[in-house]
Amino acid sequence: MLRVARVLIPVMLALAAVSSGAQTPPPTDPAVTPPAAAAADPAAAPATDPAGAAEPVAAAPDTRALDEQIQTLKKDAVDLNRELFMLEEELLFPANTQVALFLSMDVGEYFAIDTVQVKIDNKEVTNYLYTPREAEALLRGGVQRLYLGNLKVGDHELVAIFTGKGPNERDYRRGAALRFKKAVGAKYLELKISDRQRRAQPEFEIKDWE
Amino acid sequence: MATLLAFGAATAAFSAERALRAGQAAPDFALRAVGGPNVRLSEQLGEVVVVAFWSSRCGPCRAHLQELNALHASLKDQGLIVYAVNVDDDMRAAREYAAGLSLKIPLLLDPGKGVARAYRVDTLPMMFSIDRQGIVRGVRRDDRSGAPRSAGAELRRLLAQ
Repeated sequence: MLRVARVLIPVMLALAAVSSGAQTPPPTDPAVTPPAAAAADPAAAPATDPAGAAEPVAAAPDTRALDEQIQTLKKDAVDLNRELFMLEEELLFPANTQVALFLSMDVGEYFAIDTVQVKIDNKEVTNYLYTPREAEALLRGGVQRLYLGNLKVGDHELVAIFTGKGPNERDYRRGAALRFKKAVGAKYLELKISDRQRRAQPEFEIKDWE
Repeated sequence: MATLLAFGAATAAFSAERALRAGQAAPDFALRAVGGPNVRLSEQLGEVVVVAFWSSRCGPCRAHLQELNALHASLKDQGLIVYAVNVDDDMRAAREYAAGLSLKIPLLLDPGKGVARAYRVDTLPMMFSIDRQGIVRGVRRDDRSGAPRSAGAELRRLLAQ
């Protein structure tokens, strides 16, 4: 929470500073009058002011400073968003009850993934439908976080059902199961799909990241 | 009478609150397509997308789908993407119904109605125009057809952005 406050307070102060700057009426200095405005309203421009020639030069540093402020604000907002995301995850999925499930795919010559259904203790926790782009990302070595949830300490059973196209473009449906013990601390499991070259079949296994 | 009026106003306010409005983020979804690859809406970020919900049991849906098909044909070169999401329980009936219309737009299947619920579909047909940032810009409920035609100008404006 302190981390968030550390980020949030400067962002709010900077926002306040920028907005007050924007709302404050400009001083009656012809040097900061935008040239376009001056040209549009000849009455507003001083009739005989030699400083008028220096207007664009004087306005440039102000714009640059404002631009820098905006960039800083944007960066702070992105940082704040990341902090809030991490905080949300910490609150929703505390480390002592957290269980995370990942999916990876190796080669994929014998299996084109379509869906994965995951049940923990006979309760469906996710049912994911893959697009060709996502399947391609997995084949290129991507690891997907398929599920993040909470589990009590004790024994549990995970069942994953994979559907897709198997060898010779045939519809394919296989399951894999794992009994695991959840201790205090986060639990990470991985569904791993690989090719079993010897049998020309895909292989599905669930690995426990000890 | 006053009670009735108050009740009516409250119901209208409730239903307006429930409906997905222009300016809200379009809920993401992944659905199977008839005769094509699975579709995830978030993969179309950067494009202008129309998501239209229909059923083979709804009378005006026939004309609505044909108008959507014509709209897609006229704007596809500008990058418009149209998804017609079917909410029937019977997928075979949906496929046969669509086949009879010779549609060129992708037909997606939502038999569980999870996506229809996420979009808070309260009538059929119903269509949503989504801009390049994934924000809903138009919601049209249509019981006499004509909604796709009336959306043409709005979609052209979104495509030009």
